[in-house]
Amino acid sequence: MKRWISFLVLAILLLAEPVKASAQAIPYDTYNYDSKRNVVFTPAAYVPEDVFFGSELSCGDFAGPKDMFITKDGTIYVADTGNNRIVVMNIQMELLRVIDSFENQGETDTFKNPSGLFCDKEGTLYIADTDNKRIVILNAEGKLVDIISDPKSDVLGDDFKFVPLKVSVDYAGRVYVIVSNVYQGIMAFNQEHDFMGYFGTINVRITLAQRFWRLFSTKEQRSRQQQFIPTEFTNIDIDEDGFVYATNLDSTGSQAVRKLNPKGIDVINATYNSKNALAGDMGFKSTKDSYQGASRIIDVKVREDGIFSLLDSNRGRIFTYDNEGNILYIFGGMGTQEGTFYTPVALEAYGEKIYVLDSYRKSITIFEPTQYGGYINEAVGLRFDGDETKAVEVWKKVLALDSNNEMAYSGIGKAYLSAGDNEKAMYYLKMGVNQEFYSIAYKRYRNEILRENMGGVLNVLLVLVVGGYAVGKIKKIRMRRKGL
Amino acid sequence: MIKEKIRFLFYMLTHPVDAFYEIRHREKGSMGLALIVVFLAGVAFCLDKRYSSFVVNAADTREVKSVMYISAMFLLFFLFCIGNWAVTCLTDGEGRMKDIVTATGYALLPLPLFYIPAVLISQVIAGDEAVFYTLLIAIAVVWALLLVVMGNMIIHNYTIMKELKTLLFTIVAMVIILFILLLFYSIFRQIVEFVKSLYTELIYRV
Repeated sequence: MKRWISFLVLAILLLAEPVKASAQAIPYDTYNYDSKRNVVFTPAAYVPEDVFFGSELSCGDFAGPKDMFITKDGTIYVADTGNNRIVVMNIQMELLRVIDSFENQGETDTFKNPSGLFCDKEGTLYIADTDNKRIVILNAEGKLVDIISDPKSDVLGDDFKFVPLKVSVDYAGRVYVIVSNVYQGIMAFNQEHDFMGYFGTINVRITLAQRFWRLFSTKEQRSRQQQFIPTEFTNIDIDEDGFVYATNLDSTGSQAVRKLNPKGIDVINATYNSKNALAGDMGFKSTKDSYQGASRIIDVKVREDGIFSLLDSNRGRIFTYDNEGNILYIFGGMGTQEGTFYTPVALEAYGEKIYVLDSYRKSITIFEPTQYGGYINEAVGLRFDGDETKAVEVWKKVLALDSNNEMAYSGIGKAYLSAGDNEKAMYYLKMGVNQEFYSIAYKRYRNEILRENMGGVLNVLLVLVVGGYAVGKIKKIRMRRKGL
Repeated sequence: MIKEKIRFLFYMLTHPVDAFYEIRHREKGSMGLALIVVFLAGVAFCLDKRYSSFVVNAADTREVKSVMYISAMFLLFFLFCIGNWAVTCLTDGEGRMKDIVTATGYALLPLPLFYIPAVLISQVIAGDEAVFYTLLIAIAVVWALLLVVMGNMIIHNYTIMKELKTLLFTIVAMVIILFILLLFYSIFRQIVEFVKSLYTELIYRV
């Protein structure tokens, strides 16, 4: 009996040994779109590393924070909207200071629902002080530099209300502001903080059906119809060259981010947007998501090497694109687990890591790249710097992890093409479904073959023509003789 | 005899007016040959999708289903013939069902005739030369469409305006036929389901 009991205990102990998970469980789908816009599941490019909660702060919890900014040297600024303050932390998430007031003409001034902020290289802080209808500019020591409020211009009506939501500043000190209820575009201010004009206006698109019904409606009906107004911008970011990346709401899912040059012209749309819809999810109509409709892109962050990421507040996903607008990887989702969000509001990056601010949960989720994501970042970076041969090695590592990655095939193919190995280039470009470059590779390959064999072919042709002519002549002569 | 019919098929390409008249009034055509042409047109579509070079054709070759292409071709062909017959019966068309099938089938000849060279040419073109491929395809489609319209006009002895009107109604008729077919299909499915459930019910009860 005793033996039996000890045997039983042993068996239970053996069975109860905790089973180690072979792969890290990630609470979201990681996928990508192929050239035919089919969903292809990929390894995870980014996994949650840590979640920081506002309650861990010594200065008290966040209250509905709406924006976050991380500088190049790793200082995190959070616009703690509900508490009317700016929380400054270092990259280890330790509190540095809290900005809740500043000296304005000898008096202490405070913020009212600050919902956007930006910090330039010198540490000058631009705060969109929304309900005070102004932009407060503080230097690195927290002293007031300037206030932008109540801009005056002929294009602005008398009842114009300047309610800034988001703010960004380019290398030259021009200030770009997204203002609530303004459909004309982004408001741009020059170095002296005078209003320059609207920037990057989105053209209204009227569908054929809408135009058709308008034909039959009377003036009264038309005045009661939904107005055709451009969509609002939701956020901006500026890269080192002064290109403005602006996100907007797009219910059709055709374009939700624009890369505007200093003239306000969308350069991504003009060059690359034929194949890539820069609007997050592409096949949202057929997927059985709990949220229907297009992605609601509310933030953009330009990262290193021309890579930029978009944040979708509908499904909590982060979409990352390269400088040409090719989609690189997708991760994130809605939920309650680590790595998912409830109300994501702001997206930032530091090095290769990605930080997402969740307003309702008062948390900052930190994502770190996996080997797969790291290789993609590295390869895109190498290609961006023009080092295609080195990039091939990295793309091959990507292919070892994900053999469906069309970007990797295309990348390798392009490198072989510029190295002159047309046959290999053809194989990889075909695998990458890159018709444009395949065509170039094929043309070179064909001309190569033609050049090599042209001599032989011409000789054979010459022999045939001359021989045929001679045979014909001989026959003719014979016929004539017979006739004689 | 067969040789003559085939020669007449190619004669139709260059002399459509005479040829379609002779199909109607002198029994020069052959329904079998017409159906073969339709089949070849289906094959040509498959070949184009499957074997055209990647330069002009990015279709996923794993998803090209030849049986589907050919049967779709036949379905469309018969839908057109039946729809056209139904309409022309009411609008004083002189053509019989046999003539409609023959003329329409013959009229599709440019498709296989041009698609196959297009597929061959696509193997050696690159870049801007893709225009040659698209040109061949365009010629095939336009020529075939023209022949269909002319053939239909001549066998029914219509003027061009009446012919165009009839074609419009033919399309409507085709849609109606499709609708009724789908209706019947779903009703049939329901009957099958009903009998099935009746059977299982009986099996369990008895």
